[in-house]
Amino acid sequence: MNYLLHILIMINIYAILVFSLNLLVGYGGLLSLAHAAFYGIGAYGTTLLMMGIGVNFFPALVAGILMSSFFALFIAYPSLRLKGDYFILASLGFQIIVFAVLYNWIGLTRGPYGIPGIPRPRLFSLEIDSLPEFFIFTGVIFLLVFFFIRILCRSPFGRALKAIREDEMTASALGKNIPSLKIWAFVISAGVAAISGALYAGYVTYIDPTSFTLDESIFILSILLVGGSGNIKGPLVGAVFMIILPEALRFLGLPDTIAPNVRQMIYGFLLVILMRYRPQGLAGEYRFE
Amino acid sequence: MSTDLNKILRLNNLTKYFGGLKAVDSVNIDFKKGKITGIVGPNGAGKTTLFNLISGFLIPDAGEIYFKNKRIDGLPPWERARAGIGRLFQDVRVFKKLSVQDNVLLGRLIHPGENPLNNFFAFKKVNRMEKELFEKARYWIEFVGLSGKEEAPAESLSFGQQKLLSIARMLMGEYELLLMDEPTAGVNPRMIKNLLNLIKQIAEQGRTIIFIEHNMNIVLEIADWVYFLDEGKVVSVGYPKDVLGDPKVRKAYLGI
Amino acid sequence: MILQFIANGIITGSIYALTALGFGLIYNTTRIFHIAYGAVYTTSAYVFYTFYKILNLPLFVSVIAGIAGGVILGILIEMIVYYPLYKRKASSGIFIISSIGVYIFIVNLIAMVFGNEVKILSPGIEKTYEFWGIILTRIQLIEFGGFLIMFLFYIFLLKRTSFGKMVRAVASNPFILPSFGVNVRKLRIEIFAAGSFFASLSSCMVAWDIGMDPHVGMPVLLVSAVSVIVGGVGVFLSPALGGLLIGLTQSLVVWRISARWEQAVTFVILILFLLFRPQGLLGIRKRVEEVL
Repeated sequence: MNYLLHILIMINIYAILVFSLNLLVGYGGLLSLAHAAFYGIGAYGTTLLMMGIGVNFFPALVAGILMSSFFALFIAYPSLRLKGDYFILASLGFQIIVFAVLYNWIGLTRGPYGIPGIPRPRLFSLEIDSLPEFFIFTGVIFLLVFFFIRILCRSPFGRALKAIREDEMTASALGKNIPSLKIWAFVISAGVAAISGALYAGYVTYIDPTSFTLDESIFILSILLVGGSGNIKGPLVGAVFMIILPEALRFLGLPDTIAPNVRQMIYGFLLVILMRYRPQGLAGEYRFE
Repeated sequence: MSTDLNKILRLNNLTKYFGGLKAVDSVNIDFKKGKITGIVGPNGAGKTTLFNLISGFLIPDAGEIYFKNKRIDGLPPWERARAGIGRLFQDVRVFKKLSVQDNVLLGRLIHPGENPLNNFFAFKKVNRMEKELFEKARYWIEFVGLSGKEEAPAESLSFGQQKLLSIARMLMGEYELLLMDEPTAGVNPRMIKNLLNLIKQIAEQGRTIIFIEHNMNIVLEIADWVYFLDEGKVVSVGYPKDVLGDPKVRKAYLGI
Repeated sequence: MILQFIANGIITGSIYALTALGFGLIYNTTRIFHIAYGAVYTTSAYVFYTFYKILNLPLFVSVIAGIAGGVILGILIEMIVYYPLYKRKASSGIFIISSIGVYIFIVNLIAMVFGNEVKILSPGIEKTYEFWGIILTRIQLIEFGGFLIMFLFYIFLLKRTSFGKMVRAVASNPFILPSFGVNVRKLRIEIFAAGSFFASLSSCMVAWDIGMDPHVGMPVLLVSAVSVIVGGVGVFLSPALGGLLIGLTQSLVVWRISARWEQAVTFVILILFLLFRPQGLLGIRKRVEEVL
């Protein structure tokens, strides 16, 4: 039972990551490899505030979101001038730099030693420290995020983003402020990713930079692309698939030592096959045309 | 420099090269407000290139473009649209995967809902605008004869229907200047009649229309003024009857 | 002291330069951001390892096998993954995602088969040479020599062979070749073979120098990409300049700041170039046209 709850908590945390990335990739049409960086900025930002100044989880969470959004804004403005490949490269560069800072600025982040003893979230007098409580907590946050993003996707904002991803030139001819819309998508996706970071920190009570690497960015992107981007269904399917897969592998008797490798191989294989035959993923809408 | 507000769009020595080819060659045109101006000429004459320069998809190699006496050739396409220049494309360019209705709704130039914050902090205003847009969209969808197809993806329509869809979308924008690149190609004759009437109405409201057309009958029917382009240059200009009767024009088109 | 750092920087830079030349060749001609290049690099080292340490074959044979392994993999990736997408005129996003998929698949396969730990190929201490107060090992000199030879060979390839002529033509205008009756399919395979050769040679030298693990490919790929940008996109020889400069810069960082910040500095340089000089040092500034 505990194991199941743990899995479900991680699903919630990853689902928030995938939904936020979907806004950038599936609606904004921007492939980014920097999502783990924003995940990490949220985790470390929240943690440092809680442990450095003794701020409660919830205000620290808000600060973490703002921090992440601010960084996104800072790099979005120049990056969005870059065409396709260059934008991905820039996002990659940002991811590497953020990881390097988290890993090497030991004075600030304790680097590879990580930060242990992160306090559990406290809501008034209630401390959220049991697995069922955390499951409900992350579940509620996920639902809030889900509806938030759903409202955005179905709004004129979402509609304009879809137009841009379909045909940016024509969208421009219709008066859509392309840079502004893309920046918004970037900033919001980064801010929401920070929420996952804060939840992760509060749950595991220990964070270190190895959770926020380029490999992690690639992994989150893979989950999104396998499920499918550009609509609401796709990321949900992606998140579900992400949980079912390792369980299925375990059920089939795959040894634990090679399980992570096999899982990644399956993702890699699926990405190649899907891009060839079904770029919109299992349940998505955007085909990267 | 004249500040004659009657000249809503001025092209000044506009030139565009593609490699060694002069697609648009020192074109000087003053378009008059409230008039329907036709642009005609053989294929490859530079007509669509001219439109692309005005819309902002191409940067001129020489010359300037003035809209309402303000220079616009440094602005990106979306700022020109917001200034009041609407564009209809020869190759239609509807958003294929989006529904007919979404396509038309996207024609609205400025929507508070496009700022994500407004969807939460000003949702009443956004909802009101959406309601208003839905009404307008329904009107234009009906006008172009696509009622009942609101939810259908744009790619499921025929070429002619997609053309009509893009016209409906353009009309939502309530532009002061409409650039229409072959608005009637692929459209059925009954619909063409409605369109031409609409174009005349729009001009009567004081808005300006510039259109590229290959069908000379249509040019004769609605154009107030015509420019004939060949090899990037204005070869002939004047009343439709005169231009189309001009021997230079006949030579360029028919080779005699 | 500083001379030693400069020398180290040039040696590292040579490897970066060599690898970057291959990445640049592929990018300038096919416009594919070939992330799987990192997997080719890794595979080559492990084929080398398999022949040398597992099958106990002579060094020379093992190196040849390693290079061949990388080249074959590179060709297979083009034939199986990229070419069908090319025929379909897929967007660059689709290519990149497919490339990522290939990378993940191959690297994890290697990790599964060989394990994640670092593998060493040469157990002993390398012979060292000293001149002007600089100490360099034999393999380091080979790396530098290898780069120089390949660089000269590459110039020859580009200027004097028909392959080189076609490659240069494609880089300036991707659309003309099919109309000249050039077998595009064959040319692409040749391009990937040549590019993968650069990566594989580089990889085998480094494997001998410091060993390898399944994840060496990614940092190498990243530096290659940065070298191409810094050197200049669209120019075939400029990635070498980019690679050498980055090698020197990293050495400088190690000397003056700390080895920990090597990667970060490299990417700060990348970002600066992307923002202020995207055409790189030697590239040509192209007017970014909005094309319908």
